[in-house]
Amino acid sequence: MPRPKAARTGSRAWLRSLSLVPQVVLVYSLLALLVIFMIGPYLFIFGTAFKETYTLVSIPPRLIPENPTLENFRDIFSTMPFARWFLNSAVVAALSTLGTLLVCSMAGYTFAKKDFYGKRVLFMVLMATLMIPSALMLVPAFLVTNQLGLVNTYGGLILPGIGGAMGVFLLRQFIETLPSELEQAALIDGASELQVFTRVILPLAKPGLATLAILSFTGSWNSLIWPLIIVNSKGLYTLPLGLALLRTEFQVNYGATSAAAVVSVVPLVVAFSFLQRYFIEGLTVGALKG
Amino acid sequence: MRRNLVAYAFLSPFFILFIIFTAIPFFWALWLSLQDGLLTGPKTFVGLRNFAQLPRDTITRTVLLNTVKYVAVIVPVAVTSALGLAFLITNRVVRGRDFFRALVYFPILAAPAAAAQIWSYILAPRFGIFSYILSALGIGDVLFLANPQLALLSIALIEWWRGIGFHVILFIASLVGVPKELKEAATIDGATSWQVATKITIPLMRPVILFSVVMGTIWAFQLFDTVFVLTQGGPMHSTATMVWYIYNHAFRYSQLGLAAAMGVVLLLIIAPISYVQMRVLGREVEYA
Repeated sequence: MPRPKAARTGSRAWLRSLSLVPQVVLVYSLLALLVIFMIGPYLFIFGTAFKETYTLVSIPPRLIPENPTLENFRDIFSTMPFARWFLNSAVVAALSTLGTLLVCSMAGYTFAKKDFYGKRVLFMVLMATLMIPSALMLVPAFLVTNQLGLVNTYGGLILPGIGGAMGVFLLRQFIETLPSELEQAALIDGASELQVFTRVILPLAKPGLATLAILSFTGSWNSLIWPLIIVNSKGLYTLPLGLALLRTEFQVNYGATSAAAVVSVVPLVVAFSFLQRYFIEGLTVGALKG
Repeated sequence: MRRNLVAYAFLSPFFILFIIFTAIPFFWALWLSLQDGLLTGPKTFVGLRNFAQLPRDTITRTVLLNTVKYVAVIVPVAVTSALGLAFLITNRVVRGRDFFRALVYFPILAAPAAAAQIWSYILAPRFGIFSYILSALGIGDVLFLANPQLALLSIALIEWWRGIGFHVILFIASLVGVPKELKEAATIDGATSWQVATKITIPLMRPVILFSVVMGTIWAFQLFDTVFVLTQGGPMHSTATMVWYIYNHAFRYSQLGLAAAMGVVLLLIIAPISYVQMRVLGREVEYA
């Protein structure tokens, strides 16, 4: 390739090349702006959560609290059932995730590896439901849940969140890539169909399951509109619902709402720092969910 | 035969839930749009009357207009700015691409309700940071959420912050996949980096950009959470969206028929767009 050698030698070659300096300055200034804009709101709200009430409306606004205090956190846990909401969110998200993993992996495995009558049609019906906006289903899903006597119950929060065509699609794609020899060998060795699924397929499908688990958990953890319509007693609120109704139902200030927002975001940020790969993988597949 | 039975047994847990919470609600939604009545009370069949009434309702026009305006602003802005950011992050002088990719993902982690609370303080009049900066610049106090002219744009700003990472991460992945040889050959032939970007890189990214536009559009049409938390559709219905309309008419105003009809309108908008998206995705999967 007719290219000057200098361009390829050493990772710090760019530092020596003076002509790149303006570009470097420009690019990094823009990136600095990006950092401020993406992280700034988080840092600001984090600072605010530790501010004393009377400094909340100071002009100019302060980024770092003068006398950091836990007053706001004490407030949200004592003046409203915030711990309960946190727990509700965790239980609802965990159970609907577990349920989703179970039913979607069984269905995804079947679509990937089994031949059966009606396979094509069933799969097409499934994919077609991805085109339906969830807002269309809001009222009838409420009515169905009401018919089942599940309004204002944990069941009503959890059950409708289990499943989803997107999860089946994701796991089918993943399981399709696994070699079929392993299952056949296990079947010949006398394993039952269920054993093949639990002992052979599920362990191999772990990365796909992890991606779906994260998608399902974050979706449930952050969801607002379904809890909003299905729950009316405060003991059953989830975090987003609590956050949304903080201002209308409780007399709270920005310090308390900031503390509440911090508590709601921190678990996901921690999970993200450990499982970044699966979060990013889930992004494109998750996009399928209407 | 046994083969079929095993398959159906494995499918049944999923499809039982699917029938209860997806299939039945879907057909029920269509049926509801032809009925009128109370949410949990008796309903009467009214044919297409709900659809005839929809355009006569003054809020309907506002809601449709707001939604379309919002889509028309957020989608092009998000996609082009994301494209710019993806080029910026993958610029050859940048070290630590993974750091910046994680950075743009962070806002996605925030629940819309949490993001709304975060931004309500930033956009607060007088003591909010934005207002402070603007008054320091001599522009004066700006009521971001209380001004009917600005409320929808402010919501768009928040949603831009929360959603931009999706597009940026897609574009980064696609940009990294563009073969180096093509860009190098063009550079040797004397093309400027702007020409390389617009004539080679971006055309090669077309499927991803289309996917991005379609997804952005589908989400934008269903804006609700941020509006619900911050403005409740106000001031003066300036942030009332289609999903806001459905929620309020069904669960607050006892106008079930109108809510269901609006749901069908939303379906008629979203379904064709989703169809395009699935075709695009299908092609990608084929090529992979």
